[in-house]
Amino acid sequence: MEEKKEDSPITEDMPNIPKPGEKFRFNYDKYYKAILVIPVIVLLASLIYIGIFYSEHGDILYKDVSLSGGTSITINGEIDQNLLESGLRTMFPDVSFTKLEDVASRKEIALVVESSAPPEQLKPEIEKVLGYKLTDENSSIEFTGATLSQNFYKQLIIALIISFILMSIVIIILFRTFVPSIAVIFAVFADVTIPLALVDVFEIKISAAGIAAFLMLIGYSVDTDILLTSRALKSKEGSLNMRIFGAFKTGFFMTVTALAAVLPAFFLFTGLPDSFRQIFLILSIGLCADIFNTWLTNASIIKWYCEKKGIN
Amino acid sequence: MKLGLRMWILIIVLFLALLAIAPWKFFSNGVLIKSVEANSSAFEQGLRQGQVINSIDGKKVESIDDFSEIMGAKNFSVNNSIKTIIGTNQVEFILFSNKVPKITVSQLSNSNLKTGLDLSGGSRAIVKAEDKDLSRSEMNDLISMVSNRLNVYGIADVQVSSITDLSGKNFMMVEIAGATPKDLSDLISQQGKFEAKIGNETVFIGGEEDITSTGESGQDSVIECPPTFNGFCNFRFTIFLSPEAAQRQAQATKNLTTDPANPQYLSEKLYLYIDDRLVNNLSISTNLKGRAETQISIEGSGSGSTLDEAYNAAQEEMKELKTILKTGSLPYKLKIEKLDTISPNLGKEFTKNIIFLGLMVFLIISAILFIKYRKIKITLSVIMTMFSEAFITLGIAALIGWNLDAPSIAGIIAGMGTGVNDQIVIIDESVSNKHLNMKDRIKRALFIIFGAFFTIIAAMLPLFWAGAGMLKGFALTTIIGVSVGILITRPAFASIIRKMEE
Repeated sequence: MEEKKEDSPITEDMPNIPKPGEKFRFNYDKYYKAILVIPVIVLLASLIYIGIFYSEHGDILYKDVSLSGGTSITINGEIDQNLLESGLRTMFPDVSFTKLEDVASRKEIALVVESSAPPEQLKPEIEKVLGYKLTDENSSIEFTGATLSQNFYKQLIIALIISFILMSIVIIILFRTFVPSIAVIFAVFADVTIPLALVDVFEIKISAAGIAAFLMLIGYSVDTDILLTSRALKSKEGSLNMRIFGAFKTGFFMTVTALAAVLPAFFLFTGLPDSFRQIFLILSIGLCADIFNTWLTNASIIKWYCEKKGIN
Repeated sequence: MKLGLRMWILIIVLFLALLAIAPWKFFSNGVLIKSVEANSSAFEQGLRQGQVINSIDGKKVESIDDFSEIMGAKNFSVNNSIKTIIGTNQVEFILFSNKVPKITVSQLSNSNLKTGLDLSGGSRAIVKAEDKDLSRSEMNDLISMVSNRLNVYGIADVQVSSITDLSGKNFMMVEIAGATPKDLSDLISQQGKFEAKIGNETVFIGGEEDITSTGESGQDSVIECPPTFNGFCNFRFTIFLSPEAAQRQAQATKNLTTDPANPQYLSEKLYLYIDDRLVNNLSISTNLKGRAETQISIEGSGSGSTLDEAYNAAQEEMKELKTILKTGSLPYKLKIEKLDTISPNLGKEFTKNIIFLGLMVFLIISAILFIKYRKIKITLSVIMTMFSEAFITLGIAALIGWNLDAPSIAGIIAGMGTGVNDQIVIIDESVSNKHLNMKDRIKRALFIIFGAFFTIIAAMLPLFWAGAGMLKGFALTTIIGVSVGILITRPAFASIIRKMEE
């Protein structure tokens, strides 16, 4: 169904591409349904992993103290982590540490101590080990009670679901056709699920800001899907493959620039507030997953749909 | 003409954003007066919160350090009143005093942009009633009482507000910028039910009705440390009772007998309770029997490992006690659900890194765009719109007085990514689809952009309520950013591209 476009204006339109993708077209037509198997397997693997994770931990992710309840004490300056660890571990078995460093000099600027214990217990013990008092000059203390944090967590998960539903409604209104809308929604679902499985694999503790990042991911990753679907369905120019390929070129570049906005945070990772680290980490994993989901999953479904409907 | 209009709108909005942010404040000198103690000589002379001090005794004041250095060098002593000339942005004030003028100052801000607690330091508490879900009006009552208590205590820059979460639960949020008062948790969560009892009879309670005022100076408010330091300093202050409360006390003492062990005192003591906890008991001297005495002396102590520490502890303790006595009890037992005290020092480091990050994002995106399009004009116009978007978002934040916390800034930076995405769509749509005219091509680009716009708004909207709105800033800046993009910068950008293509 694609044989007509040797005369298509594609060569002039996309002068950067040497030959208008003979190979691409050939492979794609033959294998696009097979290609669809890959993302489905990855998605299933992610879902299974999250399922197993849930059965082991009773939750779908590791929560930090802002979502599970507890205290986070940030002590400014160079702090001997080993000393603190040996001093605190017996009393607070769940204590954990994160170092913050100045980006340029790699000098340690602070140490974050987290535990589910309330500050009234944790603070004096730290003071005992360090031998000085913690004041608002030399430290920050953040405490979240168990009830509130669970409430936060529950609400953020509900917000995530609402966000997903609202996104789905917008997509359905936008395209008003069943299969293409479902294809987009499915791709966004995978965009959220795969990063979730990955943060579980890497045992990253998620804070409130991290869940907010998942919400943003829903909005952030959908533009390439809209681009693809609207080019494939609404445009008349060139063959379907060429339109998908054209959309891919635009969309891939879009994701690359979006990643460029997100990635520098990694070079500054140790010198940024926790909320920044969480948001940028999850967005970058999500954007990578989005490349995969848009151009393998969504593109294959759209192509399938167009072939069925005779759109080319 | 039409193209011109869109560009003009962009330019005007940019200008307004500049006015809102007011970055030229960076060049103004001086320190801002945060508080002036009431009834002090500085207050009587007319110094007030909000004024800007430029000079003291003819010496320039540019920072808090200058201020404390000049003040510290002056030789105040009890029997030596000296002159201080304070030059402000309005007029010059001349004070004569024997004590350091009780003025607290803060650094003048560089612009109208305000940073959130996580970057500027300060404290924040989220509080709820212990076993009751408060209605909106109950919450408002509570908020005004807590605000009053914090004001009486003398905490500046405090904001008490109510927040409602997704499930409709109300919480009280207390935010104090730049400082963490000691014992903040006591101050906001302690119900502060003060009762003075003789026997089982309550004679007076905290609050204006019974306690008309507390002693603030001289013999009515004293802190004494023993000459040989033993870890304690004692305080003593007078409270003044209303005639009715004094009458109740007279009634209660009327039938008491003399204490056989201590004949100068009565057989019952005056017991003082805070939140049903006995904090003090005062022996009542026999000559008070049946008398409507309106002045009562309250005593206590503060401890510490050094003299200064003990003195400060006594002072704090006295201040807190006075506050409770004056403001009365809160109507509910409260529970602190979240308490964050953030050091301003780390925030400085974070802010530095975030600004650096913003610049890096800007440069990297610019470089990538140039590599892709190889056209200075296109690259520059994308960069300009990206910059405009971030700048206008900051302008709106300044205008509505939004405190930019770390998630808010993350929203702006992430928004720069989406903004660029939309422009790539416009460029690519306008160079492809040659069979359509330019207007239709732009229209199709706008379909994609509007689609992405509505999904991002839909996706971020729930954050306004979820988690007690702690991540509202993230949603807010993202939504402002994409809205600015769709309404102002994108139309302008599309018109530039159209011009370039034509």
